[in-house]
Amino acid sequence: MSAFWLTAYVLMWPVIVAGVLAFIARAFFREWLEARRRGEPMI
Amino acid sequence: MDDVQLQQLGGPLTIGLLVLFFGLTMLISLRISRRKENADAYMTAGNGIGLGVSAASMTATWIWAASMYASATSGYVYGISGPIHYGLWGALMILFIYPYGRRIRAVAPRAHTLAEVMYARHGRSSQLMLAGSNILGSVISLTSNFIAGGALIAMLSPFSFSQGIVVIAGGVLLYTLWSGFRASVLTDFIQVCAMLGAVVVVIPAIFFAMGGPAVFVEGASNLTPQQTSFFSSDAFLNQGAPYIAAVLAYAIGNQTIAQRLFAVREDLIKPTFITATIGYGATIIGIGMLGVVALYAGINPMEGDLNNLIPQLAGTYFGPVLLSIFFIMIIGSLASTADSDLSALSSIMMADVYGRVGKRKADPRLMLTVGRATMVIATGAALYFAGARMNILDLLVLVGAIWGALVFPVIASFYWEKVTNKAFTVSVLAALALFFPVRFGWIPMDGAVGYVFDVVAVVGVGVVAGLMTFGFFGARPARIVGLIAALAVAPFAIGFLHDYAVLSGSLIAYAVSTVVCTVMSLSNRTGFDFSRIARMTGDFDVEEGEDLATASARAAIGAEQQLPQSR
Repeated sequence: MSAFWLTAYVLMWPVIVAGVLAFIARAFFREWLEARRRGEPMI
Repeated sequence: MDDVQLQQLGGPLTIGLLVLFFGLTMLISLRISRRKENADAYMTAGNGIGLGVSAASMTATWIWAASMYASATSGYVYGISGPIHYGLWGALMILFIYPYGRRIRAVAPRAHTLAEVMYARHGRSSQLMLAGSNILGSVISLTSNFIAGGALIAMLSPFSFSQGIVVIAGGVLLYTLWSGFRASVLTDFIQVCAMLGAVVVVIPAIFFAMGGPAVFVEGASNLTPQQTSFFSSDAFLNQGAPYIAAVLAYAIGNQTIAQRLFAVREDLIKPTFITATIGYGATIIGIGMLGVVALYAGINPMEGDLNNLIPQLAGTYFGPVLLSIFFIMIIGSLASTADSDLSALSSIMMADVYGRVGKRKADPRLMLTVGRATMVIATGAALYFAGARMNILDLLVLVGAIWGALVFPVIASFYWEKVTNKAFTVSVLAALALFFPVRFGWIPMDGAVGYVFDVVAVVGVGVVAGLMTFGFFGARPARIVGLIAALAVAPFAIGFLHDYAVLSGSLIAYAVSTVVCTVMSLSNRTGFDFSRIARMTGDFDVEEGEDLATASARAAIGAEQQLPQSR
């Protein structure tokens, strides 16, 4: 396998992690705003 | 490389980072604390948490410091396929158990622990088997996280290992003690942000600091043909296969996962598990890639200890800023798992040891005291074991394999009305009776004996494949897949599988518990009414004006409305 593909193989994981982090953060803040709007605790 | 001087965080910076991390989590915990905590919320946070919190919590709990180190070790030892054989299987197991999670939640919508559900399904012996194995597993996991924290602080700061474990244990206990599981899940969000955010930075930073793409050209000669192969049989047989067997058991038997299953809003179980699968897989495989790059670069782990590899890379290539980010990443990973273990232990003691004993009504105030006292005692015990620096990873693999004996009886108990308490108990004990001699080599495996155990282990392969299929597709496809898997593996496995004691022992535990439980259950003429479980696992801490019977009936109605057909 060439250095290019090995580099892509190493660096693809942090990109996926960034995507998951953005998804979780978006869901969290949406729920937080919703809870605030209703005047209820999140947990 | 052995004589390399590692960059360290100074004393004030280390203290500042620890105060920042634990101070922030403590602040969150204080904000949600109530003067009068509710015993059920202390264990399950009200059974209705949203996707953001639940996905963050499931991801943070599944990722722990040891898994980061182990994935890098796998990459360093087995080469480019190594991290996949560690991280991918661990991730897929979260996915494979989600259909079981939905079934368990439908049967017992307001339960607190899996062992509590087993009490309702079978009785005390099944409950205690599951609760006991969970207590053992959680104390070992807690110890492991304290050790990882102590070792990190000793390596990257001027403070000692003993000081490190005391600070980590104290920090985790402080923010978890008052609000229990509620604090654990909410702080998991901050911890997952810190952890995943750091992963995004740390992996490319170390990779480029080590030379970037050029390292793959210059260091290619450092790898064996097996290490350069994506389809390495070494990696699969030594890392991937035993891990599949152990992790399936871990995911089913572990109270930290079950607790989140009972806490999340029921319609969000699927997206929660899928998010955690991707988040865990990418994080752990990504960190494992650092082990692969270290292998290409020809780096030798300090003192020959592969657990030093990741902190060593950070200490070698990072300045104070990136080293601080790395430090927070590891502290986040171990704190999130440690607080989950404390919450799991307290729930088991609250619900299984105190709450569901005899016919007396449990006192919610006393339950909370039991839960908090459990956290303090568990922290003390884990500190004691951490001080002895036992080989924790070996113990964890052992507990995972012991849980292998429980997987089929537990799953069958949720779907098959014929499974009895006797079948559950005898099958687990029979599986353990064969597991220990095989795992520790007490039986000579020469000649026919080895072949007999290999045949049993091949049945175990079929059981694992069948269980993975069953949750998604039902009993018939599971039997077909199990049979095909066993037949396909048999020619390659019989005759040599007994040489791999860890794998062989786990598979035998699966096979024996499945066969014994099935045979004993088939003779049972009566069926179990699954709606009983919901009635027996309702809330402990009900509001004034609503007695326990009403709360249980409410839970039972909910369960009956959603209960899918048993298969």
